[in-house]
Amino acid sequence: MPLSLSPPSRSPRATRSRATRRAEDSRPSSLARRASAVRAVAVALLVTSAPGAAPASPLPSVASINLCADQLVLTLASPEQILTVSWLAADPEESMLAAQAKRYPLNYGTAEELLRFHPDVVIAGAYTNPFTRALLARLGYPVVELEPETSVADIAANLKRVAFAIGRPEHGDALAAELRAREDRIAAARPAHAPAAVVVRPGGFTVGQHSLADDIMTLAGVRNVAAEQGLDRWGSLSMETLLRSRPELIVLTGYRASQSSLANATLAHPALRRVREAGRTAWVPAPYWACGLPESLDSAALLERAAAP
Amino acid sequence: MTELARVATPASREPRGAWHLSGALAVLALAAAATSLVIGRSSSGPTFGFGGPEIASIVLTEIRLPRTLLALLVGGTLGLCGAALQGLLRNPLAEPGLLGASSGAAFGAVLVFYFGLAGADSLALPAGAVVGSLAALAALYALAGKRGDFLTIVLAGIAINAFAAALTSLALNFAPSPYAALEILFWMLGSLADRSLVHVALALPLMLPGWLLVISAARGLDALTLGEETAASLGFDARRTQWLVIGGTALAVGGAVAVTGVVGFVGLVVPHLLRGRVGHHPSRLLVPSFFGGAALTAVADIAIRLMPPGPELKLGVVTALLGAPFFLNLIVRARPASAA
Repeated sequence: MPLSLSPPSRSPRATRSRATRRAEDSRPSSLARRASAVRAVAVALLVTSAPGAAPASPLPSVASINLCADQLVLTLASPEQILTVSWLAADPEESMLAAQAKRYPLNYGTAEELLRFHPDVVIAGAYTNPFTRALLARLGYPVVELEPETSVADIAANLKRVAFAIGRPEHGDALAAELRAREDRIAAARPAHAPAAVVVRPGGFTVGQHSLADDIMTLAGVRNVAAEQGLDRWGSLSMETLLRSRPELIVLTGYRASQSSLANATLAHPALRRVREAGRTAWVPAPYWACGLPESLDSAALLERAAAP
Repeated sequence: MTELARVATPASREPRGAWHLSGALAVLALAAAATSLVIGRSSSGPTFGFGGPEIASIVLTEIRLPRTLLALLVGGTLGLCGAALQGLLRNPLAEPGLLGASSGAAFGAVLVFYFGLAGADSLALPAGAVVGSLAALAALYALAGKRGDFLTIVLAGIAINAFAAALTSLALNFAPSPYAALEILFWMLGSLADRSLVHVALALPLMLPGWLLVISAARGLDALTLGEETAASLGFDARRTQWLVIGGTALAVGGAVAVTGVVGFVGLVVPHLLRGRVGHHPSRLLVPSFFGGAALTAVADIAIRLMPPGPELKLGVVTALLGAPFFLNLIVRARPASAA
């Protein structure tokens, strides 16, 4: 049976390159690692086959090396499972779960640091340094790579994937179901009038369709003008386009709003101030949309409150 | 005539100076490499030793050895190619980046990031870089191959560089996510973090023939210092020398950029630092520049790991931080002499 760290419904994404297999064939230490990986998966399977039953052996230990992976692990894992999370997870300007993250050793995402923790499974992002991911896989560590979430459905899927990889699939299923139910409740309660809105990110960027922000805006009953104009994912937004689209709602989002930076200075542009005076403004701190989490749905309430007449 | 005599018998004047210097720099590079093997980095800053008996052998052979080898190989490549190009183009500003090989390689790698292939297979990234580097060389040959004079080559190189840089910016602009854009940006600063022996095995087959091509042009480079016509009368084919250096540089630098990203400043600064000690024969500068580049890069990579806790600094940043003061010191000291 092929080893897979993904639920059967999704294609396996745990990286096992050719180099990994070669390395494993030749080194006893890697075989030992592999044995522990097998144990980790066996635990996961055991838990799936006996829902509700207490796990017979300890849960696999987890190291996470990406901000979004960190927060999913902090959401899903049992505290004693977590060996380390990345340093950004402990920064309240970046992370929704900073206080929780501060309880664990922090890492800067290099292979040598992680080796000291000896994790059963490593959770990374699809854009985490590819060299680090490849090296960890070569050393026999199962690496789960998470695609960035571009919708609430993606959040549910990633919750399930991480939960499965860390041996708590029933927990992931429950949180995912709860998330989808909340999504339905928000959609059912949204107001009839959908105000035209534009997201303004520091540096003159905005978000278009196929993004988590767009999905949540639609859910909250707000029209994303940039997405309607065909912008895909993310892109830049000129002040002129912004003025011409006559938005009723400006959605400001960003990091460290109090720190002065060239990017933040764009938020103080006189033209933007004029538009904001004419309409309404919502402020969504960047962590809500930077990573897909159950907490991301809270931003729908922020939008609705700002848009309410 | 004295110039001619020197070219005809290159070993006539202080022949041992360059070899002594090479030996000293090789010892320095090896010492840096040995130090590099025992220095690590944890979340709380630099560490010494191998982090406990159960992981020591993996840390040493799988993490620090590839990193150290690549520092030596990449630094050596940049130093050697920088020295050869400065000799060939008789221009002190020449460096491996000038011909478009690095920026072509960087663009090839960035395309791999852009299409999200970097995660699928760890070799996709270096392979993309090698293709980019060779494409830049092919473009250079197509643009300047017929005329073949130095000025055309330099100008074509600058144009290819600018074009590849523009395409890279374009990819950044249309990057699928801000995270991809960040990875692309980091690639442009170079790093040795978390490379494995697979990457050494990938770069070396490109670097070795590259080095041999460049070194085989050594005598021709000396002859060219007298001008193309004089060199031709001595039996050296200027065009052949030129393409040996350019082809060798594209191969070796393409291999280097493929595994580390763009590491700046080494190829420019190392030949300058050493030129005063070996005299003005390009051939005598080649081997010392190889070891000098290797030493500088290995020391820079040690410095990265000695920094206070935080995410790792990028290699290109530190080579510039270390190299620039030496370079400025050299310029300031050289000034009165040239003014006199």
